[in-house]
Amino acid sequence: MVPTAYLKKLFSTATMVSLSMALIAGCSTPPASSPPEGSAPSTTTSTETPAATADLQPKKGGTITIGIANEPDQLDIHKTGMAVANQIAGNLGASLVTQDPDTLEFKPYLAESWQVSEDGKTWTFKIRTDVKFHDGTAMTAKSIAETYQRALNPETAAKVAGSNLSEVESVEASDDTTLVLHLKQPFAPLLQFLSDPGWLQPLSMQAIEQAGDKYARQPVGVGPWKFEKWENGQSISFTRNEEFAWADPIFKNQGAPYADRLVYRFIAENQTLLAALDSGSIDIARGVVAKDVAKYRDNPQFEVKEMLRNGLGLFVMLNTRKPVFQDVEVRQALNKAINKEAIMKAVIQGEGVVSYGPLPPSLFGYDESVKDYGLTYQVDEAKALLEKAGYTKNAQGLYEKDGKPLKLDLLTQTGTWAQASQLIQAMLKDIGVEVNIVTLEWGALVDTATKGSFDMTLMGYTLNDPDVLYLFLHSSQADSGLNFSYVKDEKMDELLVKGRTTVDSAARKDVYKEVQKYVVEQAWWVPIYTEKQFNVVRKPVEGVGIHPLRGLMYHDSWVNQ
Amino acid sequence: MKQYILQRLASGLIVLLGISIFSFALIHLIPGDPIRIMLGENATAEQVHALREQLGLNQPLVTQYFQYLANVLQGDLGTSFKTGRPVLSEILERFPATVKLAASGMFLAICIGITMGVLAARFKDTFIDFSAMSIATLGVSVPSFWLGILLIMLFTVKLGWLPIAGGTGFRDLILPAVTLGVLASTVISRLTRAGMVEVLSFDYIRTARAKGLGEGAVLFIHAFRNAMIPVVTIIGLQIASLLGGTVIIERVFDWPGLGSLAISSIASRDFPLVQGIILFIGVIFVLVNMLVDIVYSLIDPRIEVGQTKEGTS
Repeated sequence: MVPTAYLKKLFSTATMVSLSMALIAGCSTPPASSPPEGSAPSTTTSTETPAATADLQPKKGGTITIGIANEPDQLDIHKTGMAVANQIAGNLGASLVTQDPDTLEFKPYLAESWQVSEDGKTWTFKIRTDVKFHDGTAMTAKSIAETYQRALNPETAAKVAGSNLSEVESVEASDDTTLVLHLKQPFAPLLQFLSDPGWLQPLSMQAIEQAGDKYARQPVGVGPWKFEKWENGQSISFTRNEEFAWADPIFKNQGAPYADRLVYRFIAENQTLLAALDSGSIDIARGVVAKDVAKYRDNPQFEVKEMLRNGLGLFVMLNTRKPVFQDVEVRQALNKAINKEAIMKAVIQGEGVVSYGPLPPSLFGYDESVKDYGLTYQVDEAKALLEKAGYTKNAQGLYEKDGKPLKLDLLTQTGTWAQASQLIQAMLKDIGVEVNIVTLEWGALVDTATKGSFDMTLMGYTLNDPDVLYLFLHSSQADSGLNFSYVKDEKMDELLVKGRTTVDSAARKDVYKEVQKYVVEQAWWVPIYTEKQFNVVRKPVEGVGIHPLRGLMYHDSWVNQ
Repeated sequence: MKQYILQRLASGLIVLLGISIFSFALIHLIPGDPIRIMLGENATAEQVHALREQLGLNQPLVTQYFQYLANVLQGDLGTSFKTGRPVLSEILERFPATVKLAASGMFLAICIGITMGVLAARFKDTFIDFSAMSIATLGVSVPSFWLGILLIMLFTVKLGWLPIAGGTGFRDLILPAVTLGVLASTVISRLTRAGMVEVLSFDYIRTARAKGLGEGAVLFIHAFRNAMIPVVTIIGLQIASLLGGTVIIERVFDWPGLGSLAISSIASRDFPLVQGIILFIGVIFVLVNMLVDIVYSLIDPRIEVGQTKEGTS
């Protein structure tokens, strides 16, 4: 699971800041945060080295500096909930299994092989023996068991790591090479989560004990990069792990990294980030927005790495606590009254895909036929639906029922969402529905949405498994979770549980096909778009890869100096 | 003098108490729940409840405030919600960068501002005066982020002379310090000019010139010192506000000072850190203002500290 960090504009455009709630995303195209998580295989820039540099041999040495907007709270991966912490800590770690960037198939990595029991509840992993932590201790099945036990221990209060393992009842290591996970029920997203080198990487218990409270700022892992230092408010740097000989099989480079150092530099201001890239102060700018990307595309000095976000970038949640939205015809009418294409063009310069269902093309389970049955922009049909639901136009041209005009509040925040909300307001006004825009700062928006005191709210999410819909649409998540639409639907619940417990890939795909169709029919949401996310790499850095679900990969990267 | 300082300290404490109440109320009243921000949206209701209790956020606001005040009086500003580190060490870690930037910015501002102000007054109503005051007007009107971005575009991107977002070394310091200095100099030059123009029209200046003193001596020994009182006041205020961290400039230049810390802590609803920063800035204001009053008496012996009302009004 790779929840995103999100940000929003605080003081107009001058100050973009990030928060660390897992999963939901504030601003859809912030010049910051965590774009590298998400993409459709179809739209992903090739992971191959570009043809022009294909015959260049990687050289050792140099520093690769990455500019990123957010600074993590800490790097104890169990205790943080920030997506940026996961991205950065991923360099320190390695995963049990890996996922092929082209086929998205799971392959062995730290686990040489694995078996799933017939009931889907016992997972046995055979762990390789040649891996060492940065502190010199050997990594065994026992270290991984202890790591997961720590994540599951309520005292650790592990955020994302804990929730990724939430279906795991117990973990044991019968010997140094055998790791067994006992599950409460079959859990399909587990391999996906175990393929992430960030959240579920093995940790050295010895290092954690020795460092005590300081561990959060001097983490130890088994990955290609060793923690060097953290300059508060400025940067986190890593040095090459010289002993690293257990690279992820998806990389060409099977040894230690080429560059001497890898540095993350925190640059909160978008203009400054771009100036730093232009002047060569940084080599890679993360989270460049669509409007800035064009000039880098035409410049041979730069390489743009783009991918589709791993989740819906923008959708409207309709609050079914409100009587008006208990009527499916009204919900469908709003879906037909909003011109998604126009919003996407205006707000993100068309750099994305229009969404008709709850899943983007970049996620497992997305079914293309949604383009055929999805609710499209049809003003006449929208009006007809409202009339069918008993609404009539009043003297001011607004629809009303029982003497009450159709007036709705829409929660939004500043930035691209504000533009989108104005367009929605105008489009709904066209059919005779009045929208009052309520602009809130991100934390306040989530607060208000959680309490349920709204009619409609804009929302976005990032997660690399369709099980995200469980969090957004299952009835158990209605009162304190992310089910802001307050959907309590038996059929939906049943489908979502089936989705997370069906381990067979083909069968699971069918489940989500059905989920997608049902969500479109019920129209609890108005999906709008999923945007592309951009990273810009500057020469002389070569060989930066991109994984559709993990984002930028640096293990084949080198400095051509 | 001693009694005066004690008096000022006492009134400073009252001001700080006010600041602490105000900042506490403000940060708790703006919407957004730090617990939810900290735990993430996957958190269960039990986790939220447990953490709220652990951090004492379930107590009535007044109780929370007095608890906070008691801790502050013992020198404990609390721990940051986000990083779990002591607030005071978070602040002190960032403060040197802010001092460095503020000091160099002020140094430039004083050099530029006083030179321009004195020249404009000496050559009143000439082209020099007109140019200096036009620049000052322009400087007041230009937003700091705009000037900052302009300088970055020119010196970093186009010319490649100076780095950006590279740390807090000397070369990194130049651009933000110049931006700060140029902007802060405008008020100083206007006030210096106004003061000098007034003083230069006094009889004793005519006397000084009549007795054959050189123009330099007239300007700097006789006139300058007497024109300085309002300038010192404004410099004092500027120093105090710069030491609180120049939010915009620190952000534009990616300068890791108190200003950028303040922004990020507001965003994450890191209550203890925001309160700590506000209180810290309050202390600086009180201290700097007191120093300014003491400096008055050194510049103008007629002013006795303790009677500043008559002296400076």
